[in-house]
Amino acid sequence: MRKIFDWLDRKFGIKAPHKNFMKRPVPDNIGYSYCFGGIAFVYFLLLGFSGMLLTLYYVPSEKEAYKSILMITEEISFGWLIRGLHKWSATLFIVFILLHTVRVFVSKAYRPPRELNWMAGVVGLIFALGSGFTGYLLPWDQKAYWATEVGTSMLGTLPFFGGHIKNLLRGGADVGGSTLIRFYSIHVIYMPVFISLLLWGHFHMVKRRGIAKNL
Amino acid sequence: MKEKKFYPDYLSEIIFVVLIAFELLLVIALTCPPPVGRQIDFTKSFQPLPEWYFLWIYQLIRYFPGNAIFVGAVIVPAVFAFLLLAIPYIDKGANGRRKASIVFFGLLLMAVVLTLLSQI
Repeated sequence: MRKIFDWLDRKFGIKAPHKNFMKRPVPDNIGYSYCFGGIAFVYFLLLGFSGMLLTLYYVPSEKEAYKSILMITEEISFGWLIRGLHKWSATLFIVFILLHTVRVFVSKAYRPPRELNWMAGVVGLIFALGSGFTGYLLPWDQKAYWATEVGTSMLGTLPFFGGHIKNLLRGGADVGGSTLIRFYSIHVIYMPVFISLLLWGHFHMVKRRGIAKNL
Repeated sequence: MKEKKFYPDYLSEIIFVVLIAFELLLVIALTCPPPVGRQIDFTKSFQPLPEWYFLWIYQLIRYFPGNAIFVGAVIVPAVFAFLLLAIPYIDKGANGRRKASIVFFGLLLMAVVLTLLSQI
């Protein structure tokens, strides 16, 4: 095992730069409220993992989507559990992002030099909500269809650009098969990639600036 | 002030918290599996409840009927997001923290109250 790791380390050089990271001091007086962000990240990883499993059986088409959800829930072994894990980690993901936001505000950790990290977090929250909105359509059931119908037509009432934004999101004049593919693509590719890049920056800024001490 | 090292002091605590987070999820997912919804009825329009984190917008649009619906659906949430982004810049000067607190907790209170109102 050690030999394999050393061989990899000679190729990538991961050991030396991470020594300081692993040994870096952490303030002693921080409580468990400082874990909220980390817990949200755990749920983000679980969302990715359970989502990847769901894509194996889910079919993003008008005819097949609802049937594939039925199959995942009723036929595939543990399909109901994977779906439940995905659904509930989404809820807990949002809950812990909100708790993390309150904690950061209370401990004044948004102040310079961390203001950009605060803004990255707010954008991340917006992307998380976007993931929730696009994911809501995918089961292609009564609630999903009408929530998207209502949600996108609300955007359509915006003066000037409204109609264009609505058509862009729906992939046509009405909510249909092309909307489903578009939302699926946003939900499984665009949002995860954007959130991952944001989090990469978010964590690097924490590493560079250190954990904010409660003043 | 005493200091801890990331490894092993802090890392072991993190692993503990990760396990608790995973167990919390597992218990909820096992006890409350999400049901499969009804098939779509295209014939008549249906007003569904959105996810809980969009309920405040759902309540907000009730105050802007007709063609003004975009104010509740887009404009107010956009202002909300902009104010949240601007928090580090609102906290400037002598009363900065107080101003930022009023904005932050004001937004939070608004979202909570609207969410509760949507349930009535």
